[in-house]
Amino acid sequence: MTPIIQVEHLIKRYRKTEQPAVDDISFNVEAGEFFAFLGPNGAGKTTTISILTTTLAPTSGQVMIAEHDLNHQAHEIRRKIGIIFQKPSLDLELTAEENIRLHVCVQGLYTYTPFYRLMPAAYRHRIEELASIVNLGGDLFQPLKTFSGGMQRKLEIIRSLMHNPTILFLDEPTAGLDAESRASLWQYLLEVQHSKQTTIFLTTHYIEEAEVADHVCIINHGKITLHATPYQLKQRLLDRYVLVDAADHEQLKAELTSRGITFSTNGSGFKIPYTGPTPQDVIARLETPLSVLEIYEPSLEEAYVHLLNEGAAQ
Amino acid sequence: MNRSYKELNAVVAIAARDVVRFARTPRYLIESFIYPLVFMGLLGGSLAQNLGGGANFSLSQFMLYGVVVMMLYQSNMGSVISLLMERDNNFTQVLFVAPISRYAIIIGKIIGGTITSLFTLLGVFAVALLMQIPFALSDVGNVLLLAPVICIAGGALGILFIGIINDAQAANQSGAILVFTQVFLAGLLFPVSQSSGILSVLSHLMPMTYLGDLMRNLVFAGHPDYDEIVLYSPAVDLAVTIGVTVMCIVVGTVLFVRSERNR
Repeated sequence: MTPIIQVEHLIKRYRKTEQPAVDDISFNVEAGEFFAFLGPNGAGKTTTISILTTTLAPTSGQVMIAEHDLNHQAHEIRRKIGIIFQKPSLDLELTAEENIRLHVCVQGLYTYTPFYRLMPAAYRHRIEELASIVNLGGDLFQPLKTFSGGMQRKLEIIRSLMHNPTILFLDEPTAGLDAESRASLWQYLLEVQHSKQTTIFLTTHYIEEAEVADHVCIINHGKITLHATPYQLKQRLLDRYVLVDAADHEQLKAELTSRGITFSTNGSGFKIPYTGPTPQDVIARLETPLSVLEIYEPSLEEAYVHLLNEGAAQ
Repeated sequence: MNRSYKELNAVVAIAARDVVRFARTPRYLIESFIYPLVFMGLLGGSLAQNLGGGANFSLSQFMLYGVVVMMLYQSNMGSVISLLMERDNNFTQVLFVAPISRYAIIIGKIIGGTITSLFTLLGVFAVALLMQIPFALSDVGNVLLLAPVICIAGGALGILFIGIINDAQAANQSGAILVFTQVFLAGLLFPVSQSSGILSVLSHLMPMTYLGDLMRNLVFAGHPDYDEIVLYSPAVDLAVTIGVTVMCIVVGTVLFVRSERNR
């Protein structure tokens, strides 16, 4: 199947700058996939997402989105995407509902009417459904000036989903949301992804949000430094090991040696690296009664930090 | 919804947004009365008292329609320039990722600006009443007839401006300078038929000259001093205005979209 997003040798050099913000990157995103695009500030994430969402022209390279060429069919692409921008992009002089109404009308979903009650029932049901998911139901008709940053974010999320986009671009979507809202939002976004086969393209600072991604792409200084599944990323970059010790320290050491198990010693016991999906094989082979058993599984965040540090050292 | 209907729907939604914003911002309504008061009451009153004696016609009446043109023009130009401010606070991104043409966005802004500009006419005629400047209801009708043309022309120059100047503050300041330069050179507040040399050349180059003249062609038709008041025939005024406006909209939109995408 053709990838829904195909990026080939994409370069973006801003005017009056020598260093490209995006420097010859290539990657594919499959339809229905949850794709996480990670990188530190200034890495090129927002530039890439701006190009993919047609608001910024690339310097060179080829981009195909939903089988449409970005350079020639931007209009068709815009019909298929939804976006949550990094910075709030709402009109504070309007109410929450008026902001959504403007969006659906410029998207061509519904004919504009000056009053909510004159809008079609389908629109009213959809907005109420989405508002209840992010707990904004009671505030839809309040002026946006009275909204907190978190509430504005929720409203942008509703807006991005109103037209059931094929691809949803999320540029740090949960920035400013409390933990509860973040959790309920992700629950809903993943439901949307699974039920409607929506492709999610995420950039985020919360690395744990990318743990559930199908693929993670790390960009730094405008270049892609790694493209893998979260599991592959962790496996490739960091040791996974079991830390064991026994009351009879010497007996355990002798057993490890006799069984040919690779280990190293640290102050807390014996560190045994493993490569399989779980450390079960290693533990099952040991007969010496253990007094310490700790499984060290690196988080994506640790792998990510490690990768960035490696890049900085180079 | 077919493509044309979608574009039209978007134009209406964008224009309606500007009207709603205008209605909810008391400052705009207050300004609708303050500007005419300053220009007609203070500046106009002073000019009429000190210089009006030399003219064969009522300078106050002459200025009334000049102020109408100036306010509609400036107000709509500002409305389009506000796209830059909205870009700075990220709002325009929402419009730019919508599946509509850039012309729909620009035309929506111009129409929104046109409707809100009409409110400012209330202020102008209220001040005219206060100052006992004579005008007939048919004059108000003529003004309403021409108002969309003036607004679109002002908006068109605004588009060209934001296509060339990318900074909101700079565009606002330069826009204000350009409008006031035109107000004087185009003879909106006092006749410039006696201008000569470079001032005369500049006067003929200003788009506002033809708008002001078109307005005077309408409201002073049949006036005994018509020939002294107007510069060109209405056909010339209209042709120049349409030409400049279309050029500004097309070139300005292309430049603006390019500057937004090719940063």
